[in-house]
Amino acid sequence: MADSFTLPLRPIPEKRERPDTLPVEIAQINNQWGSFREVNEDVLRNKIAEEEEKDGLDEVDESDQDATDLDSTERLEQLYKRRAEITQFAMQAHMETMFALDFVSLLLSKQAPRQAETSMSAFLKQVAPLGSLNAEVVNPPPKPESTIKDISAVSRGWRIQNFNAAANKLLQAASRLETEVASETRYWNEVLAVKDKGWKISRLPRERQSLGVQYGFLEATPVFRNRGLASLRRAEDGALLLDEGLIPSKARFVRVRVIQDGKLSGRSRPTRSTFNGNATIEDRILQARDTVYEEELFHELVREARAIASFGVTTRQNLIQIPASDNLEILLDLVDTDEDTSQPEHDISQQGTSLADGLAHTIRILLAYAHRQNLRRRTMLPLPLTPKTRPVPEHQLIRPALAYIKHMSDVRWLQSLLKDLFGVLQSAGLKPPAYTARVFSTKRQKQTSSAPVVETLIGQFLTPLLSTFHGKLLTPRGSFSIAIHTNLSSTPFGTTFDVSFNMPKYPDLESPGKLSQREEVEAAINHLLLLDVVFTISSNSGSLKSESDKDQAKGSWEAIYPQHGELLIPSSKSESRKKMKIALSRHELSVEIYSVRCIDGTGRGNWEKPSSHSMPHIWKPSPIAGSPNQPSLMDFVSAAVSR
Amino acid sequence: MHEQSLFASVPVHQHHELLQQLAGLTAMQPRHCLERRLIFKAYRKPGMAGRTGASQDLQQADLQRLNKMLNGNMYYTQVVGPVSESDFGSTAPVDGDTQMAGTDDSKPNVSSSSYDYERQPWKLEFRDIPEAGTRSAVTSRLMSSATLPRGDIVQAMNAWGYNFTTEYVVEGDMFIHNDIAIFLHRVLHYPGGDGSNLPRRQLPPLKDMTLFEKSGSYVLQAYIIVQDGSNQETMKTASQHLFGLREQLKSAVVLEQADRLSLDTRAK
Repeated sequence: MADSFTLPLRPIPEKRERPDTLPVEIAQINNQWGSFREVNEDVLRNKIAEEEEKDGLDEVDESDQDATDLDSTERLEQLYKRRAEITQFAMQAHMETMFALDFVSLLLSKQAPRQAETSMSAFLKQVAPLGSLNAEVVNPPPKPESTIKDISAVSRGWRIQNFNAAANKLLQAASRLETEVASETRYWNEVLAVKDKGWKISRLPRERQSLGVQYGFLEATPVFRNRGLASLRRAEDGALLLDEGLIPSKARFVRVRVIQDGKLSGRSRPTRSTFNGNATIEDRILQARDTVYEEELFHELVREARAIASFGVTTRQNLIQIPASDNLEILLDLVDTDEDTSQPEHDISQQGTSLADGLAHTIRILLAYAHRQNLRRRTMLPLPLTPKTRPVPEHQLIRPALAYIKHMSDVRWLQSLLKDLFGVLQSAGLKPPAYTARVFSTKRQKQTSSAPVVETLIGQFLTPLLSTFHGKLLTPRGSFSIAIHTNLSSTPFGTTFDVSFNMPKYPDLESPGKLSQREEVEAAINHLLLLDVVFTISSNSGSLKSESDKDQAKGSWEAIYPQHGELLIPSSKSESRKKMKIALSRHELSVEIYSVRCIDGTGRGNWEKPSSHSMPHIWKPSPIAGSPNQPSLMDFVSAAVSR
Repeated sequence: MHEQSLFASVPVHQHHELLQQLAGLTAMQPRHCLERRLIFKAYRKPGMAGRTGASQDLQQADLQRLNKMLNGNMYYTQVVGPVSESDFGSTAPVDGDTQMAGTDDSKPNVSSSSYDYERQPWKLEFRDIPEAGTRSAVTSRLMSSATLPRGDIVQAMNAWGYNFTTEYVVEGDMFIHNDIAIFLHRVLHYPGGDGSNLPRRQLPPLKDMTLFEKSGSYVLQAYIIVQDGSNQETMKTASQHLFGLREQLKSAVVLEQADRLSLDTRAK
């Protein structure tokens, strides 16, 4: 409809009813310039020269002024003079205006005294009473015909000019509106596109007339929650601009670096690559969201790092250093995504990179989990209001990951210890029964709560970690079990080894219980296995004795100081007795047999004098499996008995 | 503990809209609640009756306090037990033949509901009559709640001097807005009136429940629980929060103070 009906805004350029005829124009020229007869070349030349001279005079005047080198006092004087002149003129103009105002006010005071009084000067009020001047319309003398015509022509021209101006303005406004509509349309289309992608669009709380997009996380710390809202501004051409306020629009991320033995062995990569220049609005929103998430992550990491400073975690302005285990150190920092590509890569190992990536993912997943927990806490029935504010606990981000690393390191250490020890035993021809290891044997809680599976899954990661080792011993019905607890979230912090034995032969042997040092654990296990070996030797030789009558006379090994690994062949005949001393470590098993001279062979100290120094016999786990030239421990022991 | 609250009446046609508005305001999904509420009345005024001697060991002040405690007002109190929708009986028609046969009389009329009365958790909720003559424009009353043992509660309540009076069900949705709990609820009655003088062991189908308010309108209660009612500072903070909520909800509902006497819990 709009294009079918056009309304002309400009006045129609109507033809004059009576165009100016030549005689009129000639008459006009005659009036202005005089008769044509007087126009000749000289006159015209003079005129041109006159005009040029006028222009030139001005120029000369100016140049003169420039040229005249007035000294400063003179100039100043002149300046003051001019200024005084200007002021004078202004004063005069002001006075005249005031007179005019007074006059009009006095005139009006007849009609509207109250209103006119306000604009009257005080002097006039004193001098002339209100309403003392009046004006009346008198019959004007009839104007000549020509004047009336002039007036009508002038007013007509004036009106046409106004119409033209109005039309121009309207047309300008129309075209401006058109571009405005186009850019508005573009703006709203883009806003709708953003909304269709699933972003939350709302009015800004402080700026009701503009739109904002919510990309942040509702459950984040208030500072970061409020930053999760950016306004959608419109550029000149209607393109959508994401106005994040004071936040730097640089994309940043939390970088995880793994330092192994003082060398960088892995680092995590940014999850989203930076875009260059021509990013869509959604890319920008995504980037803003990622950045706000990363910054919150780092904020929470620093908060937690301060809380766990007792583990040796140190924080600097933009760096968290975590000594994880043995010779592994983890560095966390917040960097721009486009940084850090220039560093040397030669030390990067596959394992380190996967550890760094795993850590990077872990802390992010844990922050998301913390957000969910925040929601859960927020939607619980609130606790009664008390004057003191409850502190917000630090989220568990580093601690679970750190606990995992520590736990794995401890488990690996124990595994290698057991492997070494059992290897030593095997090399000595003993056949220790295999042990079972259950890494991460934390009891799975039944899913009774209504929490989603994902949350339950992560919830298990936050519980203290537990791995157990069970095994049987050479001693019948003997067994040992070691449970490794790692807990960094609540006291007692750190790793404890819960070692327990079951040795029916030594009922008064107490399990060491909870140990926290690796050395203690190693000593305990060594001790246990030594007892086990001692018992095996003594029981074996006892059984041999019962089996063969031949050996009966020779006696058998009896454990006298099993806790020192000492055995003795009691013999009623001679003073010298054979004594065997067994030592077990994770590297070797050594057996030393010598004669002692004392009454019962149990004496120690000075009485114990090795009569014949025999070289101790050593079993080491050899890299070549089952070296045939070495007799087994049992053979060696029984040989020693019969010797 | 003190409870400060504001109330509003929500007509049924506005209910859905208000749910959405509240969900937006509190940034959470409504938590649907169904609660059995049993009303108990204190029936005995123990006083000092039957206690003729042996009072010389009590100090005068103690005696006075004890007297005051024993002879003070008596109150109705509620025992609240959360239930779920599946606890209510289904509306599947009971097979007429089996009932006719009369072989299993013990089988309850309402079948196939997993409701176990013996496992029902309970909470005792006491509310005093709202304080009179407070300057503040919120309803403020003394309250207390305690967890009770599961299962049949009447025995225990009898022992404490309470008689079972009646029971009803409250259904509604709960929102949490910072410190404020917002409960949009309505009262349902059991079909067939108050026949028995014991709590029901089986629940009838939910859709057979009759509305207490025939039009089906809801009550919106916004409340804050204050730990220490004598602390003027926190009490003021709490009412400020409530007023803030009232302002925010102004265009949707009008939250106001409830009539004091309509919340009278004293047993006369």
